[in-house]
Amino acid sequence: MKILVIEDEQALRENITSYLNVDGNICESCGNLIQAIGKLSMYQYDCVLLDIGLPDGDGFAVLDYLRKELRSEAVLIISARNSLDDKLKGLNIGADDYLTKPFHLAELKARLMAVYRRKTLNSNHKIIFNEITIDVMGRTVEINATPIVLTKKEYDMMLYFISNKGKVISKNAIAEHLWGDEMDMHDNFDFIYTHIKNLRKKLLDAGCEDYLKSIYGVGYKFATK
Amino acid sequence: MKLSDHYTRTSIYISLAVLFTGAVIYFFTINLIANRQLDRGLQQQLIEAEEYIRTNNQDPQQYDLDRDHAVFIPTHAPYFKKRFFDTVYFNPKEQKAESGRAVEDQTSFRGNRYKVRITISREGIKYLIEVITIITLVLLSALVLVLFFANRYLLNGLWKPFYGTLHEIKDFNIADTPSFNGQPSQVDEFTELNQAIHEMSLRVTNDYLSLKQFTENASHEMMTPLAVVTAKLDTLIQDETLGPDQLAQITDIYSSINKSTRLNQSLILLAKLENKLITDDGQINLDAYIIEKTLQFQELMQAKELTCDTRLKHKEINGSKYLIDILVNNLFSNAIRHNLHGGKIEIELSEKQLIFKNTGANVPLIEQQIFTRFQKGKDSQGMGLGLSLAKKICMHYHFTISYSYENLMHVFVIGLA
Repeated sequence: MKILVIEDEQALRENITSYLNVDGNICESCGNLIQAIGKLSMYQYDCVLLDIGLPDGDGFAVLDYLRKELRSEAVLIISARNSLDDKLKGLNIGADDYLTKPFHLAELKARLMAVYRRKTLNSNHKIIFNEITIDVMGRTVEINATPIVLTKKEYDMMLYFISNKGKVISKNAIAEHLWGDEMDMHDNFDFIYTHIKNLRKKLLDAGCEDYLKSIYGVGYKFATK
Repeated sequence: MKLSDHYTRTSIYISLAVLFTGAVIYFFTINLIANRQLDRGLQQQLIEAEEYIRTNNQDPQQYDLDRDHAVFIPTHAPYFKKRFFDTVYFNPKEQKAESGRAVEDQTSFRGNRYKVRITISREGIKYLIEVITIITLVLLSALVLVLFFANRYLLNGLWKPFYGTLHEIKDFNIADTPSFNGQPSQVDEFTELNQAIHEMSLRVTNDYLSLKQFTENASHEMMTPLAVVTAKLDTLIQDETLGPDQLAQITDIYSSINKSTRLNQSLILLAKLENKLITDDGQINLDAYIIEKTLQFQELMQAKELTCDTRLKHKEINGSKYLIDILVNNLFSNAIRHNLHGGKIEIELSEKQLIFKNTGANVPLIEQQIFTRFQKGKDSQGMGLGLSLAKKICMHYHFTISYSYENLMHVFVIGLA
């Protein structure tokens, strides 16, 4: 997957790029509108990460450009403005999703994968990770071709881990992803542990290898040994 | 009372007063003029009578009585001045008494002194005054009637642009009306009013926009550094060389970042609410929404082994999904967070009220304090903004919110108007 990150905050841009630059992804980045349009006019990308507040103009201009040129890039807006007007405007003029700052990199990656999957519209909606197969359309999970029954939250968690495989995901990020960020849990993440325990048990019972690893109370990692 | 009614009433009172005073003055003036006219006639007759007596050298008592009602009475009374006065006149033709006017004087004939009195009828004058009074009354009532209807229909038409303007002001919504124009009118005052309101609306809209911009910029400026810190931490925890101690520190940083983010979001939301900047109102099916929320909070309740009873009637409200979300989230998470292990939560929704009840510390809270900003319980991990936000949202929608402690349960009641 080829990704262009348009973000003016250099520190943030670097972290996003390095986080996304795995699994054969190619991630390029730029910090202003002129460079962004320049890059987009020369290369094709699969996904564009777009910050709305750029130093030399409104990020919406990029959306306008892509629409005018009939381009097929999936666009994920990242904005500090949690304003409904902006959200609606962005989605109306061709963005595929909208993420408000601050966000977890794991959340960003999961969203990016989701818009990419939706945009590519290939007949094969299956994500395969070793013995695990996830059918995104049917929302089902199979281990070695045997379906397992997951609750909605367990399924979401599974997809989240797969999207961020090989990465440590903090408990905050998992809680926000599953329960929404407006829910204030005040750092009481015990209930996540119960959930992960259940998910791991279901996977192990179906004969799946143990990929889920707890990382010293900070979070979890889904990875091959 | 409408202004036109005030105007009609005042103008009718004033015209009645003026007309009444006028009528009184009119009456007396006509009377005076008529009397003067009569007196002149009487004077003439008096002279004629005296002349007659002198030329004919007759006894005055022989003077034609019928014609002039002149009476000569011999008198020895001392000298008196000639006087005119109102009296009763006996009309010999009609055989009845009428009001009359008389003159009295004295004259001497052949050494004898006589008192002369000539009386004439005032009936004609009386009739004249009656006719004039009737005409005046008819005119008066016609005038009042005309005034009344003129005010009612013509002036109401005159006020039409004003009511149009008023209506437009009532409908004026800062978020979606671009500017105020007002009803065009021929009346200078109304045109001026429209112009003033138009300018005011432009100013207000400008202020509103710059405030909105400020809120968003503030949000942007604060959120970007927070985003950088979060991204750095997310990257940092990927480092496999970190030990448990470092990771424990990072967990603490995460929770602080989380808190600052929430604080920032809440403060911006409070500012937005106070400036009425949230305008995405729509229909919300509250009962279905609360069921959805109980599912969302299920795991949290399970973790504390709470039981949740809901008694929900169907209720739809009009509001912003975003704000109602925050309201219910805050009340719900408070009910969970401040609950005892194995405690109880009861949610009731009726046409009029939404009630959250929960078990918790056996001490009632102080109602005056809990809705204040940054006021939090001793053991609370929060920032003390939750209930203050809830109250602001309730005020925004003209709902009421109150707290009570009943049967060992903390009860929050929202009165849905």
